[in-house]
This record gives sequence, structure tokens and C-alpha cells, in this order.
Amino acid sequence: MMEATRAIEMQGIVKRFPLVIANNAVDFSADRGSIHALVGENGAGKTTLMSILYGLYQPDAGHMQVFGRPAHFTSPRQAIKAGIGMVSQHFRLVPSFTVAENIILGQEPGRRGVIDMGRAEREVREIGRRFALPVEPRDLVLNLPVGLQQRVEILKALYRQARVLILDEPTAVLTPQETRELFRTLRQLAEQGTTVVLVTHKLNEVMEVSDRVSVMRGGQMVETMRTADTSPARIAEKMVGRPVLFRVNKDPAVPGAPLLEVHDLRANSSRGIAAVRGVSFTMRQGEIVGIAGVQGNGQSELVEVLVGLRPATGGEIRLHGKVITNMSTAARRRNGLAYIPEDRGLVGLSMDATLSENLLMGQQRHGPYRQGGRLRLRAIRRRAWQLIGNFDVRGAVPMASARSLSGGNQQKIVLARELSSGPSLIIADQPSRGVDIGAIEFVHQTLVRMRNQGCGVLLISADLQEIFALSDRIIVFYHGAVNGDLPASEATVETVGYLMAGVDQVSAPGAREGA
Amino acid sequence: MISESEGGIDTPRTVAAPQATTDRAAWALRAAIQGLGRPALAILIAGLVGGLIILLLGNNPLIAYGILWSGAFGNRISVYSTLQFTTPLIFTGLAVAFSFRAGIWNIGVEGQMLFGAFFAAEAGYLLRLPAIIHVPVAFLCGIAGAVLWALIPGLLRALLGINELVVNLMLNPTALLITSYLSGYPFKAPGPTNKTYDIQPTAQLPQLTTSSQLNVGIFIALALALVIFAFQMFTAEGYELKMIGLNPIFARYGGLNVTRSLILVMVISGAIAGMAGVEEALGVDHAYYDGFSPGYGNQGIAIAMLAKNNPIGVVFAALLLGALNSGGQQLQLQTNITRDFVNLLQAVIIFFLAAEFAVGWYRYQRQAKGVPRAAVAAEEGT
Repeated sequence: MMEATRAIEMQGIVKRFPLVIANNAVDFSADRGSIHALVGENGAGKTTLMSILYGLYQPDAGHMQVFGRPAHFTSPRQAIKAGIGMVSQHFRLVPSFTVAENIILGQEPGRRGVIDMGRAEREVREIGRRFALPVEPRDLVLNLPVGLQQRVEILKALYRQARVLILDEPTAVLTPQETRELFRTLRQLAEQGTTVVLVTHKLNEVMEVSDRVSVMRGGQMVETMRTADTSPARIAEKMVGRPVLFRVNKDPAVPGAPLLEVHDLRANSSRGIAAVRGVSFTMRQGEIVGIAGVQGNGQSELVEVLVGLRPATGGEIRLHGKVITNMSTAARRRNGLAYIPEDRGLVGLSMDATLSENLLMGQQRHGPYRQGGRLRLRAIRRRAWQLIGNFDVRGAVPMASARSLSGGNQQKIVLARELSSGPSLIIADQPSRGVDIGAIEFVHQTLVRMRNQGCGVLLISADLQEIFALSDRIIVFYHGAVNGDLPASEATVETVGYLMAGVDQVSAPGAREGA
Repeated sequence: MISESEGGIDTPRTVAAPQATTDRAAWALRAAIQGLGRPALAILIAGLVGGLIILLLGNNPLIAYGILWSGAFGNRISVYSTLQFTTPLIFTGLAVAFSFRAGIWNIGVEGQMLFGAFFAAEAGYLLRLPAIIHVPVAFLCGIAGAVLWALIPGLLRALLGINELVVNLMLNPTALLITSYLSGYPFKAPGPTNKTYDIQPTAQLPQLTTSSQLNVGIFIALALALVIFAFQMFTAEGYELKMIGLNPIFARYGGLNVTRSLILVMVISGAIAGMAGVEEALGVDHAYYDGFSPGYGNQGIAIAMLAKNNPIGVVFAALLLGALNSGGQQLQLQTNITRDFVNLLQAVIIFFLAAEFAVGWYRYQRQAKGVPRAAVAAEEGT
């Protein structure tokens, strides 16, 4: 029998949820041995479509073929049998198990209930060699870096003889190096005949690695293109249905008085290792300072120290000239600090609380919302409606839970709360992570507007594009210290890249001494 | 706007927000039914399982439930008895619910109640005061005893991060043994039973009837439920405690002092637990009787879960369990079904509620690790 060239063929897929049609007559197909990117904003229906392919959901209408055979999956087990493997964004590994144990889990070799661990380890080594994904079967997963954990996930799918590999936002947790490594792996897999479906919303990744790209918007398939024939701007346009500004329109900064002065700041990581090692910088009112750096170089710890969630072990922080090094978070907020945290779901929002409650945090003891010990519920609700409107949180009502919103809308709620308190310093940690393109634009414009009004914005981002689009000044972090501080107008991606990699700032081409 | 009729900023929705105005009424109705559905289902299943057991014991379930009903509500005396059982259960239910809502697992209510009862009984016996002062002083002494006991898990958790669940669990039998010893040896009144001396008449809570031990404690309990409800719905502090319960990391980031609140919650919860004991000692038994509690504190956990930590719901859930306790007595007198049957019904209810609870806890854990419910759910609710 001739094998079909199409690995997957989905036609007219419809999936309805109580209040939304997640997939509306979607056609999708992927060729054997190709890398197919599936892009779209949050809520466009990508994950739903892939969940149907993986048997997690059953479609309300439409049909699928896998390697030319009609497929009706009622569970992932059946999808796996048909050769489909999925690596979700959040790994499903048992941290206290070894690599081999995790990979064979559910398909253990052996007989009469006794696992043949020796054989398991041999098989794991062998499959790692075959796909050029070396792992040490006896390593405990909890000791592995994220990139290797992902490799274990991929091997797990391959061990189950996956011929179609779905990866959902695989680079969200990876360093640039790990991302490069992953892409190399995916290319190899594709060359060996594996079909890779890459769900993402990072366009540079689409351009870099995929053969074809399918764009979804609002539950529908907009277009499928050969990657070589298209451009990021065109894909972005299809994703949002209108041209996107990749460059943020902004006037030159007019820096005012010193706002945040950090002097020789030191702090430890949660494991007690020095993570911030003598950081000094000054930022002024009316400027956006971007902190660039490979993740894990002390930026997260710096932010936590600045907002008062982690103690400093040395040095000094001044806000408006006032020392705030040992102040509580509440006191810092009273002094004009606003904080958009990296982890929206855990830190920035209370997912099971209502939007009204989320928006109230920090204001609950203040005049307009409390009178004689009583909360003024009407005023609180009116403010919630108002902020939802002002920050364009579409379709939201004050008593909806934060969980019910898409990532972009959740971020708008965080922005609404943080910026409505009239801050003078905004610390924005990865403000557009997991946010769709339309909302990214909104976030960026909002930050620029705040800066134009005289706020200082400290932007921490793993996304160099974002750093360059917004910053007036760029500070590069390496190994817990400032390895370069330069005006954005003089910075190039190459320079910053060198500095991020730890190259001495003097020897980095084009770099200047710290401003 | 349904938000107006919801009476507060209190009702979170896991259902996605409605798109059109016309959907909102249906949506609100569905949310309300969802809220009541699980507890009602748990009670129904408990009833069915109980009926099966009665059948296996060779009795007619319908007749047995008839006896249970008339024992709970059949006549004036049984209604009094039901209300008398309900009173301590409101207190323990409120104590548990108050802590659960703030994310603290005070399951040590039983032990705190025992200390509350013992201290109130001793203050009622030892002090010589006019009634108008004696009752409140004895009341406060009982509360103080309970709070001291509740501070053990509270401080261990706040200062050393020791899981209050485990500490509370271990402190319950400890409290029982200590109060048992105290009422059996150093403070024992002469006579065959292990009890303390009777309290002075000046320390007795006023009785409401001549034919039962029903006393003003029930009004205190009802008033307390209303006060807690108002506190939770309408004050900034109530809002803050709720937010700490929902997500302590967010609360800390928002500038709240989570550690201080944690101790405060244990103190208040312990105080409410103490009131259950005080009411029993000053209003019902007029002394500390060893083993007076048929597990009011632990029943409080079931009540809080049935009521989903809502203080008004606690009153109704306490009435349900109060009726079961009261009817169970009649059942024991008239059939071969012992009072354990009531515990069995309760256990089934808790089992089914706990299943739901476990799912919630599981989600919470995943959330705490930064893992959303399921990757597949991520795109549902735009």
C-alpha cells in the first residue's frame, strides 16, 4: 500500500464550548516529514484544534485522517496508537523518577508486572541515539535543566512510536541556546520522517524553523502558506486581521529627575546563592529602561528585591531619594511603585477571584472605596466597569473570574490595577509574555504613554525585540551584574547579544562605557 | 445587572462571562444551581446509601427515615432538641468556615472547643459575681482558653511554617486527653461521673424553654453568623482575608501582611470554636462533662464544607446535622439502628464533598506550581 504524503488531514472541524465556538469549520493538514507551524493569537483555537487531534476533545463536526486512514479518537491513548505524540507547554514528568522511568511510564517493558529496568535503560539509550537526542537514563528528572526535561518529553513521545509530534509553545520556557538546540532537533526529526506541528505565537521561530505555516484567527483557519513565501509582517497581519506596528511610535525621552537609584545591590536566590552581585544604576522620570539578559542572570531576583518580595543582602535602593531598601511591599506601593509581575497566574492575579476583587487589591482601604469601615461596593463595581472599559478588556464583566479571561485580557486587568493607582515607577517584568499580538501592542502603547506622563518604566524582558522597541536605555545583565548600560539609540542587537553572552563590554564591538 | 442583586463583590465565577445581556439571567441561574447542586447531591447520595444500610440491617428505610424525621421535627420537644444540637454546630461550623475561607486549615476546632468549655466551666464555678458580669466573664474565660490552644498551631505555622493541618490533627486527641484528665482528677466533682463542679447559677446562660436545655446561645450563634457574613462581604479586612485564602502569593504581592493575618485568623477561629464549648458548659450541662461532645468540632468541618464556607449557609448546614443528631437519638431508642448511623450519613456527605474538594485542591496545587488546569482549557474562555 502506498503511504499517503499527508500525515494529518483535518477537514471541517467544529468544536463548540458553552459560550464560544473554538473551532469553526477548520481545515488543517500537515505533510510527512515537514515542520508545520500553527500560529494565532491566544484564543484563536490552536490548542483546541491540537487537542482534538490528540484525542483530548471530540469534535462536534468534521473528520480527520491520519496517514491516510480515517481517525476518530476518543482518548489520547488512541491518538498515541495512531502515531501522534504531544509535548505540552507544561511538562508532565514525574520529577522524582529517572529519565528512563519517565519515558517508559505506561509502556513498561517486562513481563508479569515486573519491569525490566535494564532493558528500559537500554531502550531509552538506543532511542536517544537513533534520534540524536542523548540522555542519561538514570538521571533524576528533577535535576535536569528545562531544556533536557523537554527532550525527555519528546523522547517519551518517540518511544511510543510517534510519527507526528505536536509541540505546544515549546520555547516558552527555554533559553535562546536551548531554543536553538530544540530547533536543530526538530529539523533532524523531520529529516528522519517525523512530522512536527509547532504551535506558537513567536513569528521569528516560525520563520526560522518551519516549512509551512497555518494561521488561525477567531476559531477559523485564515491561511496556510509556505514559510519561504511569506514574511513575519504578513503572518502578523493575518493573525490580527490588520497591520501591526512592530515599532512602537514614541517621541524621544525627556528624562527628568532621578527616580530610582540602585547602589551596589546584592541579593541571594531562593537556593541561597548570590544572584544579584553588586548592581548599581540610576533611572530617571520619563524614561523606559530595558533590562536585557538571558534568563537566570539575576533579573528576576533584582525585580523581587526592588518590589520588596525578597530581602536585599547588601546595598541600597532609593525611590524619589527616599531609602526603601527595607520597606514592605505595601509601603513601597504607597511611595509610587507599581509592579507587573512575570507570573500573572500566580502573582499578578487571583485566578479564582472576580475581576472586581482583583482590581480592588491595594485600594480596599482607601477613601473612595471605604467609608466608616464599610466597603463601598457600588463605587468598587463602578470602578471595575470603568477600568474594564478603559483598558479594553473585551467581553469582561466585573464578577467574572480572572481565570475565565484569555492571557491578553488577564494582562490588561493587571495593567488596569497597577496603573490606576497613579504610580511614578512601573516595574514591568515580561509584560507581554503569553499575551496575543493585539494585546502586546496595547501593553506597549500603555507603557509608552505612562512614560510620556513622567513615569519611570523598568522593563525586564527576555524578548530583545521588545527591549529594542520600547527602551530609551538598555541595561544588560550578565551573571547577576550590569554588563553594559547604553542608550537605546546607540545599541544594536549584536552589541546587546554580546553583552548578554558575557563578553566584556569594552571588547564588545560598538559598546560604550556605562552611561 | 445581576451584580447588584448578588449583594457584594463576593461571588466569583468560574463560568465564562456571558457575551450578551440576554444570557446573563440564565447564566446567573446556572451559577446558583451549580453552587447548590453539589451539596444537595451529596446529601441525596448519603440518604440513598443510608437507606441501603438500613435495608441490610433488616429495617424498612422509609419507616426509619420517618422516625428520624419525627425525632428531629415531630413535635415541640423534638424541635427544641434539634435546635439545641444545632447551636454548638453553628459555632463550630462558623469557626471552621472562617478559617477555611482564609486558606487556613483549622481542623482543631474540637480541641479548642473542649478547652473553651473547660475554662468556662471553671470560671463559672470558681468566681463569685453577679449574673450580669459573671456570664460575660465566664464566656470570655472560655474563649481565652480556646484561643490559647488555637495559638499553638497558629504560631507554629506563622513563625516556623509548620503545617497547621497536621498540628491541629494531633492536638485534637491531646486536648481530649488533657481535659479528660483535668475533669477526672484535679477538678473532678464528687460522684460517679467525670465532671467538674456545677457552675454557679449566676454563670448560667438563660434558658429559653422549661422542657429542654435550649438557651440564648442559639441567638448568639445566629447573630455571630450575621456578623461574620457582614464582615466578609462589606469590610476591607474581610476582603483581604478572602484574597489571602484564594491566593496568598497574590495577596503578599498586593501588599498584605499574610503572616499577621494568619495568626489573626487562627485566633478568631479559635475564639468561635471556644464559644461552642462555652455554650455547652454554661447553657446545657452547667459543668464540664468529660466526653460531652459527640464530635461537634469535626461535624463543623462537614458543615463548613456543605456551606462552602458561607456563614449563612453554615446555619442551614448546622440545622441539617443538628436534626440528624436529634433524630438519631430517637432512631436509637426505637430501632436497632445506633447513633452511629448519623455519623455514617455524615461520612458519606463528607466523602462526596471531599471528592470535589480534592479536585479543587489539586487544581490549586497545579496553579501554585504555575501550571494551569490543563493546556487544553487555556483557549476556552475568551
